[in-house]
Amino acid sequence: MEDHEILLKFQDPASRSLAFNQLVRKYQSKVYWHVRKMVIDHADADDLTQDVFVKVWKHLENFRQDAALFTWIYRIATNECLNFLGSKRRKFLLPLTDVGAELAAKIQADPAIAGDEIELKLQQAILRLPDKQRLVFNLRYYDEMPYEQMAEVTGTSVGALKASYHHAVKKVEDYVTRNTDD
Amino acid sequence: MKPSFKLDAHPRRSHPPLSSPPAGYFDRLPSQIMARLPQAEARDTAAGGGWLGFLSPALRTGLASVAVLGGFAASFYMSGTPQLVPATASTASLDAVPRTELVGYLLTSGAHVESADLAVLTAAHPGIAKDFLHASEAELNEVLDSQPSEELTYL
Repeated sequence: MEDHEILLKFQDPASRSLAFNQLVRKYQSKVYWHVRKMVIDHADADDLTQDVFVKVWKHLENFRQDAALFTWIYRIATNECLNFLGSKRRKFLLPLTDVGAELAAKIQADPAIAGDEIELKLQQAILRLPDKQRLVFNLRYYDEMPYEQMAEVTGTSVGALKASYHHAVKKVEDYVTRNTDD
Repeated sequence: MKPSFKLDAHPRRSHPPLSSPPAGYFDRLPSQIMARLPQAEARDTAAGGGWLGFLSPALRTGLASVAVLGGFAASFYMSGTPQLVPATASTASLDAVPRTELVGYLLTSGAHVESADLAVLTAAHPGIAKDFLHASEAELNEVLDSQPSEELTYL
């Protein structure tokens, strides 16, 4: 079902639930992986994905359609992730690097990455990036999202996003180079 | 010299090599999300709640608390006063009536004085019987013993 059909049916109270169910089924995987890349842990990603869609439900009536529906959903998901990581840091009074180290420990324990040293170092390097820079890196590197769309999701200018991604790539390459065996 | 790592030369993935979510996760997720949604009726009520809709949640909670406490206070005062007023009011109003008028009323109206009336009277004036009842305790017991004591009296 196309986005405009979903939105049209959502306006009708009789078909609202059905339309929203379609919306969840259409975007749940993308939202989940967007969140999972940021928080790494499946249980956290599960909670946040549900929170994102509950917020979408609450505010979809006020969605002005000046952006694509998925861009809008991505923005909600992004804010949820950044709030989650920020509150985690504040709750445990952790500096930036410690949350990165905690996430790196989780990814190291993940069986999907076992045995691949370069990949492990790459993930550790990505997780050491500040949250917002890691978000930019994920959107560009994994999702291959155009900068213009990234600007809508993050509310940042295209120029700033390009600079942020460039610096992130440099940091990642330096870390992997320094921390891998010959 | 150690070769430098280049991201462009590394095989690109669609997402990091994290373990997949549990089997059937995306089949269950929509129903879990739908179960968490606030009820449409509740949302409609909140949206169309008239002037209450313009108040902040904290203010609405405070207002509800004041209303409940006010209700308790009102019910306390309204239920407490009627128990006190009738006894004093009736006694005071009877005291204001001259005794001759009371006797005249009782003789002409055909009203019957019952035990309950006497009980109320002695409760209001504990020493009222001393004026006309000159009997010793032994005499009272003798009269009471001579009364028939049917079981029905105690039922």
